[in-house]
Amino acid sequence: MLERKLITKVLEEALTTNADFSELFIEEKSQASASMLSSKVERVNNSKTFGIGLRVAKGFHSVYGYTNSREEKDLMKLANDLAQSFPGTQEKRTVELGEMKKGSNHQIKILPSSVDMKEKIALLRRANKAAREYSQVINQVMVSYQDYEQKVWIANSEGNYVHDVRVRTRMAIASIASNETSKQQGFNGPGGFHGFEFYSEVINVEEAAKEASRIAEVMLTADHAPSGKMPVVIDNGFGGVIFHEACGHSLEATSVAPGMSVFSGKKGEKIASPLVTAIDDGTIQNAWGSANFDDEGHPQKRRVLIKDGVLNTFMVDKLNAIRMGDEMTNSGRRESYRYAPTSRMTNTYIDNGESTFDEIIAATEYGLYAKKMGGGSVNPATGDFNFAVGEAYMIRDGKIAEPVKGATLIGTGADALMKVDMVGNNLLRAQGMCGSTSGSIPTDVGQPTIRVSEITVGGRKAAN
Amino acid sequence: MNFKQLFERAKEKNIEDVQVHYVADTKLDIEVLKGELESYTIADTKSLSVKGIYDGKMGTVSTEIINDEVIDFIVDSIIASANNIDSEDEVFIYGGDSIYQEVNDLYNKELEEVDAKTKIDFAFKLEETTLKLDERIKMVQAFYSEVKHKVHILNSKGLDLSKEVNSATAGVYVIATDGKDQRTGIEYIQSNVFEDFNLEEIAKEGAKRAVDALGAKSVKSGDYEVILENKASASLLAAHVSMFSAESVQKDVSLLKGKVGEQVSKDLISIVDDPFLKKSPRSGSFDDEGVATKHKELIKNGTLTGYLHNLKTAKKDEVGSTGNGFRNGISPTNFYIEPGNTSYQEAVKEMNKGLIITDLQGTHSGTSAVSGDFSLQASGYLVENGQIVRPVSLITVAGNYLELLQDVTEVCDDLKMNFGYIGSPSLKIQSLAIAGNE
Repeated sequence: MLERKLITKVLEEALTTNADFSELFIEEKSQASASMLSSKVERVNNSKTFGIGLRVAKGFHSVYGYTNSREEKDLMKLANDLAQSFPGTQEKRTVELGEMKKGSNHQIKILPSSVDMKEKIALLRRANKAAREYSQVINQVMVSYQDYEQKVWIANSEGNYVHDVRVRTRMAIASIASNETSKQQGFNGPGGFHGFEFYSEVINVEEAAKEASRIAEVMLTADHAPSGKMPVVIDNGFGGVIFHEACGHSLEATSVAPGMSVFSGKKGEKIASPLVTAIDDGTIQNAWGSANFDDEGHPQKRRVLIKDGVLNTFMVDKLNAIRMGDEMTNSGRRESYRYAPTSRMTNTYIDNGESTFDEIIAATEYGLYAKKMGGGSVNPATGDFNFAVGEAYMIRDGKIAEPVKGATLIGTGADALMKVDMVGNNLLRAQGMCGSTSGSIPTDVGQPTIRVSEITVGGRKAAN
Repeated sequence: MNFKQLFERAKEKNIEDVQVHYVADTKLDIEVLKGELESYTIADTKSLSVKGIYDGKMGTVSTEIINDEVIDFIVDSIIASANNIDSEDEVFIYGGDSIYQEVNDLYNKELEEVDAKTKIDFAFKLEETTLKLDERIKMVQAFYSEVKHKVHILNSKGLDLSKEVNSATAGVYVIATDGKDQRTGIEYIQSNVFEDFNLEEIAKEGAKRAVDALGAKSVKSGDYEVILENKASASLLAAHVSMFSAESVQKDVSLLKGKVGEQVSKDLISIVDDPFLKKSPRSGSFDDEGVATKHKELIKNGTLTGYLHNLKTAKKDEVGSTGNGFRNGISPTNFYIEPGNTSYQEAVKEMNKGLIITDLQGTHSGTSAVSGDFSLQASGYLVENGQIVRPVSLITVAGNYLELLQDVTEVCDDLKMNFGYIGSPSLKIQSLAIAGNE
């Protein structure tokens, strides 16, 4: 970190031309990672990152610079260079830095840095063993482990000064099942805003590993998915990626403010089926996408994005709030000091409805049951989305039938939201990494089991 | 940091050999939107990756805190890392090759000497020019991004190599609307010569991509003859490039395993890895292990000739490294399908009924380099009797990448590099499964 005096000096130097806001983001991060393949530990790595990002703004226009240097002369030069983007002069601005605020909403029991690498490696071995023993057809398993402690100090010219420590850990298991003709992969990657206690108190390592193998085994015998329009039942947990990609990104001020989103200007309007209530909550205890403060130094909060189908709020960062004339929702996030912050999701999910899982399946004559979703992407301007289904089954006569592989769901977010016609009562969240303008950040997706009355399924076979 | 001191400390702690990989980057990013400077970013960063052989295993560590105070952290981390590795693969710190090909145009000082204001003005002019091209263009984001990258590799065996490259990308992201439909287009040029950024050309192409797609609709599901446009083909190749890595082959996660000498694609297809490509930031005379790079033809007229190797995989296969050891793994340098003789226009003209695919979405999730199966959202145009009839969107194209390479009937002459370093000309494919709205 930096001395208060130097922080103040740099923030003031940035305001020597015509800018009206400056902000420092100081980051110190230590990270450990390890991976295993073919039952052998292949790679173990420690890393330390340190850097400082400086943002200077006038109104909603901002410029950004970053460096690994903590030397006064380098930081003053950076401030001066950035200040030149706002030519002009103003009365000398003084910055009164307030007390440093600290957050403590998420308890960490065992700091990863206090745990010997050997213990972390032992997790890899346990997961590998469980994944392999699950079935004869599993003949390759990749397991990886990572943890980090990210310490940030955020100070701005308005005097706000906060310190936050984000401790996260995640394990990922990829099992490959194969026979003479095909190879299929199953994946599971649980993580949390946790220390090493995550592996003893929150998840069962063996169960997590078996889940990856289960998917691979099922998909090995699956036939190609049919193509065409049909009802799709999307299961809880990672199924929430549909909402994240198809709607969540279009509700971020990053795309709403410049008018690039299909939802721009639609606050108060009905944008989804009345069954849909969607929430972005950065305060959930020890959740993967949670933090005490956002990356602009404001306390994280819970945002009701859609209430009974009506657009309630966007996710808005500080500068986009000025740009949109809207309220800031403390949604500024960034991967690291290498990125200026912008509005991003935290833990985003569709809230519970009334139906049970069994009711939803029974009510579906013919369709696709997407049990495990893969990744996907969306074009925020058009709302066009696509994502792969990792584990899928046909639904016939209200019953789950044969597994199918290679299915992709495509459509537009606005359309899919309107077509949600059943919402389950089994809300579950799952972990992902979300990539966008301000880098790759941890986010939870989530939902109960839902049914969309019609989505285009892309597969390799004609529908039958 | 005093590297000599680091090498000495490592030796005292019984680390056999050590190599440092030092990178210094400077960056400039400019984005213009609605006549305003939307984003301006400058950066100056340095990072250090160190690896060392301890007890026969390779330990690794990286840090952005680079001073003599972290020497102990580096040495201890290498030992902790090596102690936990149980892979029995032989590891190497390389003493160097006798000859490294000279590559002259990696760094162009003149690009750096063009001042920031000229580059910002260029982006403003690019936005303005693109907006004026068609009244249906609603919004244009113009960008200019420049990076200077210095690499220095130094090891205890006496290797001492360095290179400096710079490169810039200028382009537009265009949104067009006709009141009912909204479409996007993107176009960019990459070079380290400022004069190469032809403003009119970028504007025209970006605008065309967005406007021509307006009113796009799906098509009937079925098997179609397809022209996979150069950029779309390059993005599909990029998703499957790990198949060519010897690491994937040795770990049995490559479909190309055991196929050297076999016909794996139509004989029209040749794929090369070219570390000497002009004006590419990926070009260079050595890889991260210090091995001299070389030009390779991985698929020669349809026949697989070999894989991309680093020192570790090469030793296992008892061949030489191909100079593709990057970031502790294997990566291509400039990897592309060699262009053919057919012009793109001719390929379209000769198509009776089919689709041109200009864009593929979701290549990071809808593909599998393990199985080669892909199912991707696509957009493009419907062709009938050699004429483009209308734009097409909301379709998915599904298949298997190796089967696709076997089904190529025509290779065009319009090679384009995508993502900076993976490239392809447009390809005509006999048949691909398309899922549409019926």
